[in-house]
Amino acid sequence: MTIARTLLSVVVSIGMAGSAFAKATNNELKIGISQEFDSLNPILSSMVASSYIRYIVNRRLTNLDSKSKWQAQITKELPTTENGLAKIVTVDGKKKIVTQWEIKESVKWGDGTPLTCDDIIFSRTVALSNNVSIPEREVYEQIEKIEVDPKNPKKCTFTYQNAIWNHVNQLGTFYLLPKHLEESVFNKYKDQKEGYEKNSNYTKNPTNPGLYNGPYVVSELKLGDHISMVPNKHFYGEAPKIKRIIIKLIPNTGTLEANLRSGTIDKISVLGLTFDQAISLEKKIKTESADFTVVFEPSAVHEHIDLNLDNPILKDIKVRKALATAIDKEQLVKSLFEGKQPASLHFITPKDPWYTDDPKSVTTYRYSKRQAAKILDEAGWKEDKDGYRYKEGKKLSLNFMTTAGNKTREAVQVYLQNQWKQVGIEIIIKNEPGRVFFGETTKKRRFDMAMYAWVANPENNPRSTLHSEMISSEKNGWSGQNYPGFKNPRMDKIIEEMDGEFNPKKRIELAAEMQKIYTDEIPVLPLYYRTDNAVIPKNMKNFKIPGHQFSETNDVERWTME
Amino acid sequence: MGTYILRRLIQTVVVIALISYMCFYLMTLMPGDPVELMIQSNPRITSEDIARLRELYNLDQPAYVRYFSWAKDIASGDLGYSRTYRVPVQELMGPRLKNTFVLSFIALLTSLLIALPFGIYSALKPGSRVDYFVNFLSFGGISIPSFWLGLILIIIFSVQFGILPAGGTETIGVEHESTWAFIKDRALYLILPVISLSVQSIGVFVRYIRSSMMEAMRNDFIRTAKAKGLSRAVVVWKHGFRNALIPLITIFALSFSGLFSGAILTETVFAYQGVGKLVYDSIMANDYNVAMISFIISVSMVLFMNLLADILYGFADPRISYT
Amino acid sequence: MDLQTQESLTHNNQKEPNMSSPHSSLNEAERKALESALPMWKIVFFQFKEHKMAFYSAFVILFFLIVALSAELITKVTGLDPNRQNVGARYLAPMTRAEATDDIKESAVEFYINQHSDEAKKLAAELRAQKIIVASEDPANDNQDALFTLMTKPTTEIKATLAQLKDVDSTHYSAILKTFSTFHIFGTDEVGRDVLIRLIYGARVSIGVAIMVAVFSAFIGLLIGGIAGFYGGKIDMLLMRATDALLSLPTIPILIVFSAVDLSKLPMIKQMMNPSYESIIKMFVIMCLFSWMTVARLVRGSILSLREREFVLAAKTLGATDATIIIRHMFPNVIAPMLVAITLGIGSSIIYESALSFLGLGIMPPTPSWGNMLNNAQEVIYKNVWLTVLPGLMIFITTVSFNFVGDGLQDAVDPKSIRR
Repeated sequence: MTIARTLLSVVVSIGMAGSAFAKATNNELKIGISQEFDSLNPILSSMVASSYIRYIVNRRLTNLDSKSKWQAQITKELPTTENGLAKIVTVDGKKKIVTQWEIKESVKWGDGTPLTCDDIIFSRTVALSNNVSIPEREVYEQIEKIEVDPKNPKKCTFTYQNAIWNHVNQLGTFYLLPKHLEESVFNKYKDQKEGYEKNSNYTKNPTNPGLYNGPYVVSELKLGDHISMVPNKHFYGEAPKIKRIIIKLIPNTGTLEANLRSGTIDKISVLGLTFDQAISLEKKIKTESADFTVVFEPSAVHEHIDLNLDNPILKDIKVRKALATAIDKEQLVKSLFEGKQPASLHFITPKDPWYTDDPKSVTTYRYSKRQAAKILDEAGWKEDKDGYRYKEGKKLSLNFMTTAGNKTREAVQVYLQNQWKQVGIEIIIKNEPGRVFFGETTKKRRFDMAMYAWVANPENNPRSTLHSEMISSEKNGWSGQNYPGFKNPRMDKIIEEMDGEFNPKKRIELAAEMQKIYTDEIPVLPLYYRTDNAVIPKNMKNFKIPGHQFSETNDVERWTME
Repeated sequence: MGTYILRRLIQTVVVIALISYMCFYLMTLMPGDPVELMIQSNPRITSEDIARLRELYNLDQPAYVRYFSWAKDIASGDLGYSRTYRVPVQELMGPRLKNTFVLSFIALLTSLLIALPFGIYSALKPGSRVDYFVNFLSFGGISIPSFWLGLILIIIFSVQFGILPAGGTETIGVEHESTWAFIKDRALYLILPVISLSVQSIGVFVRYIRSSMMEAMRNDFIRTAKAKGLSRAVVVWKHGFRNALIPLITIFALSFSGLFSGAILTETVFAYQGVGKLVYDSIMANDYNVAMISFIISVSMVLFMNLLADILYGFADPRISYT
Repeated sequence: MDLQTQESLTHNNQKEPNMSSPHSSLNEAERKALESALPMWKIVFFQFKEHKMAFYSAFVILFFLIVALSAELITKVTGLDPNRQNVGARYLAPMTRAEATDDIKESAVEFYINQHSDEAKKLAAELRAQKIIVASEDPANDNQDALFTLMTKPTTEIKATLAQLKDVDSTHYSAILKTFSTFHIFGTDEVGRDVLIRLIYGARVSIGVAIMVAVFSAFIGLLIGGIAGFYGGKIDMLLMRATDALLSLPTIPILIVFSAVDLSKLPMIKQMMNPSYESIIKMFVIMCLFSWMTVARLVRGSILSLREREFVLAAKTLGATDATIIIRHMFPNVIAPMLVAITLGIGSSIIYESALSFLGLGIMPPTPSWGNMLNNAQEVIYKNVWLTVLPGLMIFITTVSFNFVGDGLQDAVDPKSIRR
């Protein structure tokens, strides 16, 4: 027993020494994330957490700033038809757009090598190789050719396959590789399946500063554990203030919070706490007067319920309308989210230039249980003694699916189940792990109602989710994301016209019409926009959650502790 | 004996090969493939992208073709490439295997060191107060869900008292002046996971040791030894304990292999950078190469540990012969 | 799972052969009394009672079972419903009272109007006639709005109003009033459901699944072990190698893989079960598949030794079929150790179920199980500690009780441990 006691006291004393509750300083910032990150190779990685890291160490041609406006990043100016840097030409009767780009003089890789147009061309070559497992290559593919100005290696001309108005936006995900380091690897392994991936410097030697061109370079990397980064000496922009940034992966969000409380991390990124946790942490911080602030920002992630339009019950637009009328979104938002995740009208977010809530272009469904009951009565669904509705002996029963393990969704789900039950609709909840849900159920459209989210990027053409050709089926290799099975000729037409429309005003008109069709036909029940949250030290300045697809770390060089 | 070991070795290898095919087949039965997971995270992937990736990953081939090409790669020493992390498997798994080994081994050792004295003592004094108490505690240990214990430990030691880190493997970004400082740092992070992992095995071990020791002490030769007037220590250790060893070896071998997959929950709760968490993620993310290697390591450990146990019986008990 | 049953396995192996070990503390008369006068089950019961912890544990289990089985009765008596939500009262601390939201009140009134339309009509008409509540709607609407408006007022006011209307029957209307204010002994969860009643319904699922798994896997084990032991030779080798292979599989990862497989694709199963129970049935099937092996080994061991006994030879010479010999003559001899294996198996099954649900692969919401309650709670463990502590404690208490009972049974059926 005495041995045990001494052991315990030793443990306690070591423990005391280990966890000092130091205030966050500019010497070091330890950020916790709960999502996995993969390889740092910018064109290969596909995980959200990797892009969080990528924007600390890499910059791109263009960027969406925190006010949701497109800006030139490593380039001097955005090409537009107004400033003459973008031109529409006709080659062999086909309209194409040609744009001119010039990289800023001071832009260099972390080892001091200047970043030139050769790097852009090389990145495109790698991305288009058939032996490289890049997930999506439309961004690279739609550029037909890139020509370098013979006099200035920092100047080049892009020729696109088509005349598209959103070429600037697209380049936000055109990632750059350092030719001087990666070319030899690529040339050696390009004929081998996945040979480049296995041998890239990002895999074999990720701490080489020459691989990065952002404000920071990687100084240490342990995949699945942590990554630490130090300022890039050759960074072209404002010098970073924080001397070292460590990103630590803590997959269990409960443990993540505990780490914050015990001082092991200073900040929790947007890829950290769940919404419920953030809310409860905010409350707790208030009572404890801890040194943290919880920041909330509505994001572009749209939570919604896809209704399977091939389902005999849901085929009837009256039932869909009743479903929409029977849910009290205001109360849902108030009671489950404390008003912090705004209810949505349709798939476009309020930050988007295309957004409208004009009653002329958006049909809204005001909550009214009695109205919903009336619509259902009209549709022939009559309430029986057991409280549920029946039509020709068939019960009004729908299955309602979402990803298992997502607490917020599950809470919303039971809430809605209860609301629909009150108008006599039986809802059977059937949740599945994400892989089954997305891998089988939604893809093969084996659901009545499916709740999940899309990222609604600003000015994004909803082709993949609303065009009738994108109804996922065996024929198209299960590739489209039009899971409700929505078919509307007018919608198809608008989608097709959208890409070639260079007049921003016209685009807004088209988008408004889209929203009209969408809210009239209700193939999807819009629920709410998710809110991003982050926990930062009280003394942290210049931190902002952008609320769109590009991460908060885009401003990392400006972050500072006071 | 040599031929016996050889025969068992060959059998074991065959079983591993069969099981690996079974696991591979099971994985293909799961809904979704790596490409579908990409589609899900990226609505802009086109059907051309999908066809290209399927071909690149050989997903257009039947399962057995893929299995053989995978097995061929393994045989040539290429463990493959993790689709999730986009790095070669050995680079991914190496450090994690080490971490899991450290955690499991320390937990196992701790459990044994605690369980042995208690188990033997209570076996020698059955019905005594200590026996009663030890029994009670060991049942408690067996019945505690380890992940729940982990959560409770975090609440108490990290959140309430703030004396131990809530999770992780080591303090990041600290240059340790000496190896000692490094060990101290690692030890700090190991305390809670080791406790939550050992409590259950301590319970099992104590029960086990107690019963096999009691069994051994009931033998006639113990009475003879006692009658001969041998000292108590000699009777207990040389005659009693040695005979209790065989079942102990079995349990040790079995639990050694069990710790590998049993660590999944503990590693999840403590965000410990081990292979257990990786196994879970790789299965959920359809990362075939990683999951398969994990299965094989796990299965091999059980089988080889069983083999080792069988061989060790021979040394512990001369009555067992290998024919 | 493996280790525990493994332990009982050696116990049983060791206890078969020699009955002559020393338990000489009994005198001749006592022994006679014990051996002749008492039937087997009485001896076992007598022995079992000696093991105090086991005896008390049996009561704990009995209590849990009774509570779990009377879950519906509890719902009826207390009005607590495991699925009744109150989003206005999320994460309430234990021992607090919650008020229903207007939404809940409204649907309660609706239900009332449907169920007791006569009373509702009279009451509403009276309310209007007395000008207590003047609803804007015309009388054609049965004055229902008056009932809704009244309901949104504070309880005391409603009671006073109803007291004024002495001549009209309002018993059912005032009955629903009671359901608006609910008291939560263990607080509420993330959507304002009562934690206590969910624990009770969770007990039904968790213990239910565990018992079924333990019984069924014991049955499978009995069958396979019996066949392997009785026939020996090649069949034995094949079955035992399969058993070994299954034993060597890493349990949790395999369970993860199996949980991901969609059982409802099998058309037969789809028709057989209510989709709300799908996750429970799936859980049950998966766990059965992976927990029969130790029992099979145990049974095989016993049968192997029984095979050489005289009574089996006698039965054979009398022309009994194999099935008769196995079922009539051999199984009764393995019932005692099987009982022990089942009890111990229940304990570990509860832990396994909770572990899988904890990983989000087990029982699906809204069906409560202790594991998924724990899973739901882990995000908010710092703010709402009791949500984590309670389900875990339930798992712990139940498992420990089953394990003690198993131990008690083991001692009780073990001839050697009579009067230690």
